[in-house]
Amino acid sequence: MVKVYSITQCPWCDKAKKYLTSKGVEFEVRNIEENEDYAKECAQISGDTMVPVITEDGKNFVLGFDKAKIDAMLGI
Amino acid sequence: MGVYDFTVKTNRGVEKSLADYKGKVLLIVNTASKCGFTPQFEGLQKLYDAYKDKGLEILGFPCNQFAAQDPGSNEEIQTFCKLNYGVKFQIFEKGDVRGENAQPLFKYLVAQKKFTGFDESSPMTAILMDALQKNFPEYLEGDDIKWNFTKFLIDKNGEVVARFEPMITPESIAKDIEALL
Repeated sequence: MVKVYSITQCPWCDKAKKYLTSKGVEFEVRNIEENEDYAKECAQISGDTMVPVITEDGKNFVLGFDKAKIDAMLGI
Repeated sequence: MGVYDFTVKTNRGVEKSLADYKGKVLLIVNTASKCGFTPQFEGLQKLYDAYKDKGLEILGFPCNQFAAQDPGSNEEIQTFCKLNYGVKFQIFEKGDVRGENAQPLFKYLVAQKKFTGFDESSPMTAILMDALQKNFPEYLEGDDIKWNFTKFLIDKNGEVVARFEPMITPESIAKDIEALL
């Protein structure tokens, strides 16, 4: 399952989610502002607290809304 | 009327008179709410770490007049937001910094130090100009704040001595701060 680490009032997170939906990709939203465990996970994956972070395996990730990189990582 | 005549509210809603900062060198910055030019927070924190003990205070005023736009139209600027500013200097209540509803402090600051153009040598200038022309062409006119992270430097006597546009990095104004300390 693809995970999207995000925060509230984050237009880039919203863009990323909309894009994944438009591509038929199912994903789980993990809000790092509301959940400390998610915040720790996100920091471990990307080394920072910037969002959106999109990952499927918890290792490879795309930081920010970058369609080309998202496509490449997810093979879509 | 001077900078010390203004009262503002902290991000926790506590009223703060700028007169409390008399004798300090102040850097007043309109910050972005989570998005846009966020790397500058790091540079501002470094300035604060370096000069806090010598009398520098940084005052951050979050504003979403520039970040609330549809991000699709200026993707080049940045495509992420940040959870915490991670800064230790004082952040104030969110509010407008330009236009009719601008906070009085910012109306005062832009009247003291007018817009004199962007730094043409910065790669950020072309990107920002493009974003402004596409999204807010009216922002290019007049002296109001053009974008997040416009910085005003105030000396120990409360005089507004310099205005730095968004593409001028915190690191590059260290010497200007030092000269006033």
